[in-house]
Amino acid sequence: MQKVLIPLEINGETVEVAVRPHQTLLDTLRDSLDLTGTKHGCDIGDCGTCTVQLDGIPTLSCLTLAMDVIGRQITTVEGVAQDGVPHALQVAFDQQGAAQCGYCTPGFIISGVALLKANPSPTLEEIQHALSGNLCRCTGYTKIIAAVQQASQMLQQAGTGAAAPSGASTGTPHAAAHPSTAQEV
Amino acid sequence: MLKLPEFQFHRPSTVEGVLELLTRHGSNARIVAGGTDLLPSMKQRLFTPDHLVSLRGIETLRQIEISPDGGLTLGATVTLRELTLHPEVQRLYPALASAAGQIATVIIQGMGTLGGNILLDTRCYYYNQGEFWREALGKCMKADGTICQVARNSPSCLAAFSADTVPALLVYGAVVRLVGPSGTRAVPLSELYQDDGMRWLKLLPGEILTEVILPPPPSGLEARYDKLRVRQSIDYPLVGVAIGLVRDQAGTVEQARVILNAVSSMPESVPQAALLLGQPLTDEGIEAVAQAAYTQVKPLTTHGVQPIYRKKMVKLTVRKALQGLMMKGMPGQAV
Amino acid sequence: MAENSENSGMSAPSAGAAPAGAAPASAAEVEAAREARRAAIMAERASRRAARAATETAPAGQGDAAIASNAADAPATAPAAVAAPTVAAGLQAPGIAAAPAPTAAPSLSELAMPKNFRIIGKSQPKVDGMPKINGTARFTDDMKLPRMLIGKTLRSPHAHARIVRIDTTRAEALPGVLCVITGKDIPTKYGIIPVAQDETALALDKVRYVGDPVACVAALDEETAYNALKLIQVEYEILPTVMTIEDALEGKVLIHEQNKTGNVLKNVQQSFGEVDALLADSEVVVEDDYYYEGNTHVPLETHSALASWDHEGRLELWSSTQVPHYLQRELAKVLGVPQSRVRVVKPHFGAGYGGKSEPFSLEFCAAFMARKTGRPVKITYTREEVFYAHRGRHPAKMWLKLGARKDGTLTALDFKCWLDGGGYASFGVVTTYYTGVFHSLPYNLPAFRWDTTRLYTNKPPCGPKRGHGAIQPRFAFEIALDQLAEKLGMDPAELRRKNFISPGHKTVNDFQVTSCGMKEAMEKVLVESQYFEKKGKLPRGKGIGVACSAYICGAGQPIYANDMPHSTVNVKLDRSGCATIFSGSADIGQGSNIMLAMIVAEILGIQVADCKVIEADTDLTPVDLGSYSSRVTFMVGNAARNAAEQLRIKLLQATADHLRVPVEEIEQVGQEMRYRKDPTRKIPFQRAIHEAEARFGGLIASGTYKPPRLSTRLGGRGAGPSPAYTFTAQVAEVSVDEETGLIEVERIWCAHDCGRALNPVVVEGQIEGSVYMGFGEAIFEAQRYYKNGLMTTPSILEYKLPTIHDTPEIKVFYIETLDPNGPFGAKEAGEGPQLPTAPVVANAVFDAIGVRFKSNPMTPDVVLKALEGRTTRKNMRMA
Repeated sequence: MQKVLIPLEINGETVEVAVRPHQTLLDTLRDSLDLTGTKHGCDIGDCGTCTVQLDGIPTLSCLTLAMDVIGRQITTVEGVAQDGVPHALQVAFDQQGAAQCGYCTPGFIISGVALLKANPSPTLEEIQHALSGNLCRCTGYTKIIAAVQQASQMLQQAGTGAAAPSGASTGTPHAAAHPSTAQEV
Repeated sequence: MLKLPEFQFHRPSTVEGVLELLTRHGSNARIVAGGTDLLPSMKQRLFTPDHLVSLRGIETLRQIEISPDGGLTLGATVTLRELTLHPEVQRLYPALASAAGQIATVIIQGMGTLGGNILLDTRCYYYNQGEFWREALGKCMKADGTICQVARNSPSCLAAFSADTVPALLVYGAVVRLVGPSGTRAVPLSELYQDDGMRWLKLLPGEILTEVILPPPPSGLEARYDKLRVRQSIDYPLVGVAIGLVRDQAGTVEQARVILNAVSSMPESVPQAALLLGQPLTDEGIEAVAQAAYTQVKPLTTHGVQPIYRKKMVKLTVRKALQGLMMKGMPGQAV
Repeated sequence: MAENSENSGMSAPSAGAAPAGAAPASAAEVEAAREARRAAIMAERASRRAARAATETAPAGQGDAAIASNAADAPATAPAAVAAPTVAAGLQAPGIAAAPAPTAAPSLSELAMPKNFRIIGKSQPKVDGMPKINGTARFTDDMKLPRMLIGKTLRSPHAHARIVRIDTTRAEALPGVLCVITGKDIPTKYGIIPVAQDETALALDKVRYVGDPVACVAALDEETAYNALKLIQVEYEILPTVMTIEDALEGKVLIHEQNKTGNVLKNVQQSFGEVDALLADSEVVVEDDYYYEGNTHVPLETHSALASWDHEGRLELWSSTQVPHYLQRELAKVLGVPQSRVRVVKPHFGAGYGGKSEPFSLEFCAAFMARKTGRPVKITYTREEVFYAHRGRHPAKMWLKLGARKDGTLTALDFKCWLDGGGYASFGVVTTYYTGVFHSLPYNLPAFRWDTTRLYTNKPPCGPKRGHGAIQPRFAFEIALDQLAEKLGMDPAELRRKNFISPGHKTVNDFQVTSCGMKEAMEKVLVESQYFEKKGKLPRGKGIGVACSAYICGAGQPIYANDMPHSTVNVKLDRSGCATIFSGSADIGQGSNIMLAMIVAEILGIQVADCKVIEADTDLTPVDLGSYSSRVTFMVGNAARNAAEQLRIKLLQATADHLRVPVEEIEQVGQEMRYRKDPTRKIPFQRAIHEAEARFGGLIASGTYKPPRLSTRLGGRGAGPSPAYTFTAQVAEVSVDEETGLIEVERIWCAHDCGRALNPVVVEGQIEGSVYMGFGEAIFEAQRYYKNGLMTTPSILEYKLPTIHDTPEIKVFYIETLDPNGPFGAKEAGEGPQLPTAPVVANAVFDAIGVRFKSNPMTPDVVLKALEGRTTRKNMRMA
């Protein structure tokens, strides 16, 4: 099949990409655009590792045709940080050790960020519900839930207080995450 | 990565455009909406159509409208997620919102559509597998083979109907609008299905489902949908049960419907639900209907879980669902 | 202890050895060389003295002292010795008879060991964490090379068949196909265990399971490769299959005809103590059968390998492997090139849990086809293929007989096991040992005998999955203990407490336990779960159970016999103050990279952020055996510590020389190195690095670890003996829906003796993940086959790994015993905590509904059936 040049709105940018009609969004992101942050785990919609946001809604890119999402806002894990500043959930994932092998992580970040946007202070049940389409095989989900809870707190503090989420506003997450370092050896 | 087979892609912006493509390409074309049922099957090479026609470009199919009679008209490409969240759906048809929220995963609910769920392909352990697997086992009649792997002597395919919204829609008396080359027709949803795993839909060639018409629920209607599954996410139903009861002020049951899911190739009504009529709900009545449902169903090895277990669970799920309604008390108090 | 002397296998760090050996060319260099020689002599002297002190005074393995060297002649007033009793004493495990601290001389470790930990013991984000979170981490399949081809594997649809003929001509003729290979192209056998190498990259003359690789295609793109597979014609002569343990034992059909023991890959029998006499004298005996179902890893990243050859015939292979070193060896052998021509790199890695601990077909095929085509080739398995590649948990049929005295004291165990191993050996020889040798922990068992047979069957090969080989017998044993408790009328927790071993225990099969926090772990979960308050008092359908276990920190022997270190870590301290750590170990998500950075940063006096870890690259990194058998923190951590200590000593020495004060009197405060007695005499830390480099040359050190010589009295030296053991206790609370048979595991409390928790958040994560995986095996997961050998559930939809809704609340506690030989006292946490989970669930279910499950998974249909049977049995018992 011949390739077709289409515009896609990805992470706030319009990119022109040549796709074949049977290319999924996942194929397009990974193979055509080198946006390899989006992973593939099963290719048939069971695992959630390929999740991206379509107009803010978590969507499996392995079951989405590239040509069918022209005009939609696509957000991949690469687009979650703003101006190089990680999202509060990313900071929390790092601090909580919520990424072990890290392969499912982009999908969880996508689902978690969508949740926090719609519901900045979710209950445990709401967190579990929002993440129930993403499978993790390393963590037993414990630290992932803790990370969403921490991010929720960070966002609320940022909302009520003056500053942006701690760590997210002040540069690299590691600067926030690492304990003060000028101690006696 | 598992790739899709090649096809031409079409994204018309009108229903007429869809019909024209279907007429032109006949059985070489398939409709795609959410893609969550069709595309995995295509990756597994269950289908290799030359043309895929997307419904995503048709704005009119994505609407939820309040009908003049107070019911709702739901566009075919309304997503399952939209159903679960829509205030009017929640208010008028809570069992539908609940059923949509029990499908697969929360992500798939954001993609899959109402129309897609209504037309969901029947499923079977031996059918919904990759190409290599099916070749290694020997193909079944639903996909390029000649026999049924579930029951080798069966003359017809036994794949199971598993669409969770349908039993709930049936309880609410849904009607579907079908548009085809020879015009439009409105068909009660209950008449759309037949018990044949390969031809479970009574659609005419070239016909598509455009909307679902839900009449206003009769006063005193209580409905629920209960789904049993192994994992509390991802999984298809082992058993699904929708119940609809209309009771008068005194608590006398005036209408009773029990619809079973995932036990045969179509949603299965339990006629003996009539045993509940004309009296208040009683434990004896509930037990009789549950027993009738148990006797009626013949689940097969279309799942990984033993059929006898699923048969028992039909009885249990029917009983518990009815008990749940009984516990809720009188219709006046019920939500 | 004898082990101490073995620890000297860690190369005695000789501060000045390297410069001293070089020919001096200038006055400065002559001076530097002289200094270095002096340091070396001092080091040797101190080393001898420290070793002597250790062997004389330290009963509990003062490994630190034994690696001592490079201390000055001055009396022991090293900071550590003064302020923190001594490092060694600080590492005393609770319960080990406290040894007088060696005070004769500060060891290298003591000098280098910081007084207060800045980093160790405090939760640190992973050095490689954020890339995984922001999408920049590159996993193998994320990589692309110019002109790269994509490979795909044709697999056997038959469980057992002879290959009569393969015709690849039509596939080769398909436009876009560049290469088609079959077994004849790469016929050299390989296998992870040298004595059991029975696999070829592609089947040679026979296929042995559905999914056995038969041919491989490289094409311009994935779709062309996929289409080409369909054009390969294979004529099979179908053979009768061996699908059960019984069929395999019968041996009518042979899977590997050349195997001298028929379908038996390995049988091992060992006996310790007077088993029969003790069992005969036992006042209570439990004798029963148990079955543990096979299951598989399901790492979310499927296997992937990318191969490329350069113009000089050197192979570079990126692969999602847990064992780059072993893979390098096998690649060289199979491809017929020297090992020096093979570079294996493990990029970011999407988990393995043991499932990527040996070479796989795709790695050889990608390498071979890349050489043949002169273009890079990448092969990535589909999810379905991963289920066929398998190497997961062996299904195990078990029988045991366990005796006790009336007071609950265990007497003896007789144990038999049959492992359904699948079509090839994989790690099966090791699995065989692991089903038997661990019965002597964590309970004092005066006598036991075991007899395990690992069989070939026509199924995908089983291998190592988290808790390798120890999961199945632990399931049987911990349930048997509950049965025993029932017979004795004792509480199951009491029975266990009565029999726990103590620190320093030597098992009847010669395993030397060092630190042991078994009792503390048990107390912790009993208290936290309110076990005794709940036991027997929960409402119908709810239950509480307990189970315990022990596990290894690496194997005493490498997989191929050699006397080289098991782990070497090189550390380069740059003038900038940045340390680069080179380690062949593979971070597989368990956090070994941050472990390395923390250890090195702590000792060198720098920050974690100043450490860069170069890992798992056979060209750049010194050999480490790989990420398996829970060896990495213990062995690689020790090697890293050793390397960092050598550099730290140089920094201290250079500072001391510069300030003209004794080296023991140097302390670091923040970014300054100063004289303790007169803090105005100081230099910036960075200056100390420059002084050291000026004095000693490039600041590069190589640290090694080799386990002490462990038990060799018995066969199977490599399987079981370990430099340290970890201990786990768990309590589970479940509720069983007696109408649906659904078990809800509400909560699992897990206390794990991990030595020191170097990085608590990572340790917790390892424990949580272990419990999760055990829970999945208890309730949901099963890798099963149809009669024709086809796996029943080759997808994540049908293979039931638990979702977030299904997973219980996991309460984690780590017990810090501070092992005398572990790095900073650390032991493993990544596998041991899985061992008690399946039996703890079974024991809690028994408490809830009175049904004793002796097999898994406890799926609702099975539970319901058992519940129906229970009514009958109870009635019978009452009658």
